[in-house]
Amino acid sequence: MYDVIIIGSGISGATIARELSRFQLKTIILEKEYDVAMEATMANSAIVHSGHDPIPGTLKAKFNILGNRMYKQMSEELDIPYMACGGMVTAINEDQVHLIEELYERALINGLRSDEVKIIDQETVRSLEPNIADGVIKALHLPTTAVTFPWEAAIANIENAMDNGVELALENKVIKIEKLDRFVVTTDKSVYEAKVVINATGVYGTDVAKLVTNPHFEIRPRRGEYYVLDKDVRLVNSVIYPAPSEKGKGVIVTPQYHGNTLLGPTSEYVAFSEISKTTASGLEYIKENVAQTVQNIPYHKIVRSFAGGRATSSTEDFVIEESEVKGFINVCGIESPGLTAAPAFAKYVVEELVSVHFEMKPNTDYNPRRRKVLRTNELTFDELNNSFHDNQKYGRIICRCEKITEGEIVDAINRNCGARSVVGVKNRVRAGAGRCQGGFCQSEVINILARELKVDKLDIVYNKAGSNILKETTKGEQK
Amino acid sequence: MKQYDVVVIGGGSAGLAAALEIKKQGIDHVLILERDAELGGILLQCIHNGFGLKVFKEELTGPEYAERFVQELLEMGIEYKLNSMVTKLNPDKTIEYANVNEGFVKISARAVVLAMGCYERNSGSISIPGNRPSGVLTAGSAQKYLNIDGYLVGKRVFILGSGDIGLIMARRMTLEGAKVLGVAEVLPFSGGLKRNIVQCLDDYDIPLYLSHTVTDIIGESKVEKIVISQVDNFVPIPGTEKTFEIDTLLLSVGLVPENSLSERCGIILDKKTKGPVVNESYQTNIEGIFACGNVLHVHDLVDFVTEESRKAGRSVVRYLNHELNATNNMINVLPKNGVSYLLPQEINLSNLVTPMDIFMRVNKEFKNAEIVISNGDTVIKRIKKKHLAPAEMEKFILKDVDLTGDMIDINVAIEVQS
Repeated sequence: MYDVIIIGSGISGATIARELSRFQLKTIILEKEYDVAMEATMANSAIVHSGHDPIPGTLKAKFNILGNRMYKQMSEELDIPYMACGGMVTAINEDQVHLIEELYERALINGLRSDEVKIIDQETVRSLEPNIADGVIKALHLPTTAVTFPWEAAIANIENAMDNGVELALENKVIKIEKLDRFVVTTDKSVYEAKVVINATGVYGTDVAKLVTNPHFEIRPRRGEYYVLDKDVRLVNSVIYPAPSEKGKGVIVTPQYHGNTLLGPTSEYVAFSEISKTTASGLEYIKENVAQTVQNIPYHKIVRSFAGGRATSSTEDFVIEESEVKGFINVCGIESPGLTAAPAFAKYVVEELVSVHFEMKPNTDYNPRRRKVLRTNELTFDELNNSFHDNQKYGRIICRCEKITEGEIVDAINRNCGARSVVGVKNRVRAGAGRCQGGFCQSEVINILARELKVDKLDIVYNKAGSNILKETTKGEQK
Repeated sequence: MKQYDVVVIGGGSAGLAAALEIKKQGIDHVLILERDAELGGILLQCIHNGFGLKVFKEELTGPEYAERFVQELLEMGIEYKLNSMVTKLNPDKTIEYANVNEGFVKISARAVVLAMGCYERNSGSISIPGNRPSGVLTAGSAQKYLNIDGYLVGKRVFILGSGDIGLIMARRMTLEGAKVLGVAEVLPFSGGLKRNIVQCLDDYDIPLYLSHTVTDIIGESKVEKIVISQVDNFVPIPGTEKTFEIDTLLLSVGLVPENSLSERCGIILDKKTKGPVVNESYQTNIEGIFACGNVLHVHDLVDFVTEESRKAGRSVVRYLNHELNATNNMINVLPKNGVSYLLPQEINLSNLVTPMDIFMRVNKEFKNAEIVISNGDTVIKRIKKKHLAPAEMEKFILKDVDLTGDMIDINVAIEVQS
């Protein structure tokens, strides 16, 4: 019997789990996939938005501003990459200048301070961003915009929550929820019971809510496609938004913490089966739209494309509330700015919604810090040798493109919420995220995974159950 | 900091040939840094034959070809370090590398040879529409899993791209019991050698779909189906879709010289070859740093890599012996109509050793054409060719008699005979 079951391990479930671990509550996360954070948290722009954009008075506005102000500290405590790069919303004609002037007012209403938003002229834009498109005539400058590393943010929150006592059950798809004096949650693997259930299932929010309630909202997946440029391309210094349209924040050019540049997203309602599919038209759409804000884009430096589904609610806002079934809490419709807002709404969910069901005794052993991640490509030559002297595996480089050592991979496997798959390793330490996309290192990553997890290489999967890379041996028995 | 005469980065076919040549010409302190566990590079996973016809006048497998060089290297006592990854190359020719025995080490060299080879273009770089399941991998990765590790990655296979590795793998996987359903090539002609089309596809009744590409990948956790479509100048034609049920899509869509080290060192790359711009001595824009093999441009045959790398090695020795003049008297070698690239891109006439091989590729197929080589506007020579294709590297020779009078630029174009 648990106190709280969190269904879903994206950024919402992850931050809520960590927040719950501050208290003496027995909590478990149920995740249907082979690893955590495999859906929307895996496929988004990685932006910590300033809060300039949501409609005033909405939950999006409230939690965006609060979340933005919490991000730096959370990133420090959990050792999550964080880049305070700033951002700008560009205008290419007088109508758009008008739009960014409206956004300026909205930003102030939402709670940005007057030094956190300003309109800058063409010359200033150009001095900050040499590759800005010639047509850009003004911009709304947003210095508090930042960039995180979204799946590491989720992984770090879950790891820290687990360090503080939270449990995680992967490959457990919830198929039934019964409300008795407690909740009985049945998955395809097991049965779990708890006093409180939190529905943090992203695009599947309505489906899960319907297992026990009659939700007043509907979540539909809105697909976004992205293209990633190689890390040697220094295209922009800050997040470049176009002026907003009815399709949302538009196609954004985002510098990434590790040096890559992200182009996207598109915006399109699709069937669930189509969420993670990229399309030829999507790339064309991005090229056309990006050209209005940024020029000199080296499309031959694309290293990867991907697509993900945002959980868009019929209410056009986050749904963060206890349902009519007491103890069943919906955290739904968490689309942009969800990644930014997560630490703030997680606090709200725990302190305002969960707290009414329990006597909230602090967890006196709670440690807000995650054990530091040793990232060799951020170290000086002498620091590299220090890490090598502690552990020789830090002298063996496995991923040629990103210069990731065996030591880092082994550490990523053996932590709480550790990597179990090839993509799990890539998401945690970036082995295979470079220009060769694992062409050289994948076989070695499989060797390390099999050795550390003490399983056969044939059992190592790419990302999901059944996605095994090696099908059979050709030379008889091999271990 | 340990000092070497020459550090060769990469112990594959290029690095081995260059290092041997340098040592044979009397340079003592040569070091090869190899990132893999063995010397030989990609040759080790190429267990098919067809190597060595030019260099050894006999047909060898990849490992046999490598072995010849490794044996000689051992006999000559050339120093090498395995499992050693170069992490940084500086313009002053200091080098940082790492391995599990020494940790992170800085060394310096009087000359450096870049011989890092290529990486394969992959599903990421070509942005195939559709899902991102497992079972989509490069032909070279599948080759390593099969020939080095002893694992088969699938049983029903389709191959995108008619590059040589894909063709070789079509045969190889067939021999291991897999069913290869076809090869799609977006261009109207094959990207691989003619002999590989015949020996790897035709002999096994594997269809080659020219002017076709993959337009959808279907499957959540593993690839289940792909859709291919006919293309008109790279644009898929609606209504021409064919679906194949597969468990593996192999990509053989080209190689890219691996120059991240070179770029960060400030070495200028050629936009076409994606390798360093070099002169007649295979020297890059940074004095004392040379390049050869697939890091310079993608070769069809390892024999050509060997020949080129030996020449680069001889240049390194001339450089160390102060026999190379600084960059004066420089002329450009410029690709014109029909030519994709030429190598070297520059010639310092005062350092030229004739006869000089110039390598080139055309940018499309030609029949009954001439390679026209000019000095400025003056034609130096014309070479008749029955057939020219981008997949087949061409070579012509410049002799002293070709280079008389005032040299301006060497222009090379293709003219079709009417």
